[in-house]
Amino acid sequence: MKLEQVNKTFGSHQVLKNISLDFPRGKVTVLVGPSGSGKSTILRSLNILEKPETGTYDFDDLQIDFSKEISKNDLFYIRQKTGMVFQSYNLFPHFTVLENIIEGPIQVLKKKRPFAIKQAKELLIKVGLSDKANAYPEQLSGGQAQRVAIARSLAMNPEYILLDEPTSALDPELELEVLKVLLQIAKEQQSMVIVTHNLAFAKRVADKIIFVEEGNIIYDGSVENFFDPDTRNARISQFISSMTFEN
Amino acid sequence: MWNTISTSLPQILEAGFKYTIPLALISFFIGLALALVTALIRLSATKGINIVIKLFFRFYVWLFRSTPLLVQLFIVYFGLPYLKIKGLTPEGIKLDPFMAGVLTFSLNTGAYASETIRAAIESVPSGQWEAAASIGMTRTQTLKRIILPQALRVSVPPLANSFISLVKDTSLAASITIVEMFEVSQQIAAENYEPLLMYSLVAVVYAIFCTILSWLQGKLEKKLNASHVKRGSESR
Repeated sequence: MKLEQVNKTFGSHQVLKNISLDFPRGKVTVLVGPSGSGKSTILRSLNILEKPETGTYDFDDLQIDFSKEISKNDLFYIRQKTGMVFQSYNLFPHFTVLENIIEGPIQVLKKKRPFAIKQAKELLIKVGLSDKANAYPEQLSGGQAQRVAIARSLAMNPEYILLDEPTSALDPELELEVLKVLLQIAKEQQSMVIVTHNLAFAKRVADKIIFVEEGNIIYDGSVENFFDPDTRNARISQFISSMTFEN
Repeated sequence: MWNTISTSLPQILEAGFKYTIPLALISFFIGLALALVTALIRLSATKGINIVIKLFFRFYVWLFRSTPLLVQLFIVYFGLPYLKIKGLTPEGIKLDPFMAGVLTFSLNTGAYASETIRAAIESVPSGQWEAAASIGMTRTQTLKRIILPQALRVSVPPLANSFISLVKDTSLAASITIVEMFEVSQQIAAENYEPLLMYSLVAVVYAIFCTILSWLQGKLEKKLNASHVKRGSESR
């Protein structure tokens, strides 16, 4: 999965400036950067919730040219191959936890209901919520809601899971329960792209780090080099020290 | 007095069940369907031929919200027979009173309710559209499965208001010769010279009908709120 020479503007503000990135399969890519840097826009472009003005998007053998109209088939293909997890969970409030998870498999993938339910129950065990199948989203804590959202995206069997600041709305102890689930999924070689402000988590989970600032890619490489005080550039050092207690 | 009531009440109730209730029910459901179509068209993308269709529906909503219901009834029932267009309607459009009533009340309800439904759809957070899109649902699937069920929940109180108003507004149908409850009470009052008693009696019957509707509204809201049960001791 890769983006090439992508540009995106909102009004007169250019949020992505000719960026090119690739996201290796079976690995965890973490996007970091200050607020408003464009990292969420990159993530949303991968699910085509945002459509950049120019550039290309390659997924396996499919190439999408952002400057042209995207066909329904291509859009459907990309949406199916990439699952999205939002900062504000966006669970369907009128459905139970189980119904939230089986909705996509039944409506979109046309799976049989018993199969979808069986799969959903396995996913709920995986995210540690097997006792909440019949609860409604309003009855869940934020951490539980986000774990359901993760299960919902996994139920579509996507090749990549895209997570947009999945824990920034959560209290620290609830954040930890979500991060643990993500670490476990990462261990299973699930391809992921995560936008996060939590550098400790990034260090732990990432195979690759991308640092974005004002729509430019400042860093794109290994975790070790990103955090190594000897090799990283001054701007990254400044960013890391503003986010942690490290001097 | 009780004697007068016991002879006139059955006649009023008969007119209620024969005309008032069917007129209100049929008009409301046609109006609701019309309102949904209108709301969806008004929320659709503004491009191509759609612009003309959207303008037409905007005009329709404007027209019916900006003119009195009584005038609308008169135009449809007394006016349309004179709409003689060569080759199209050479004899004018003659509707029987009940049809004219249903047509006018449906169009009127449709115009008001379309605004309610439009606002209700817009009140569903954009994150719901995004979540549905991100799992590959089409626009139609998203509307049907995700957006409209949530919009319905918030639109029940204002739609119930419209329905209750409509039940009372059907009394205007008396003026286009429909023998509904109010017309019957007028006829009886003209015979027994008891206008205060007759009009009070019909008012009570309207109030009872509307009270039953309010009660049904409460039941429906409770049912639709099942997913919004109060949270227990768990914190968010």
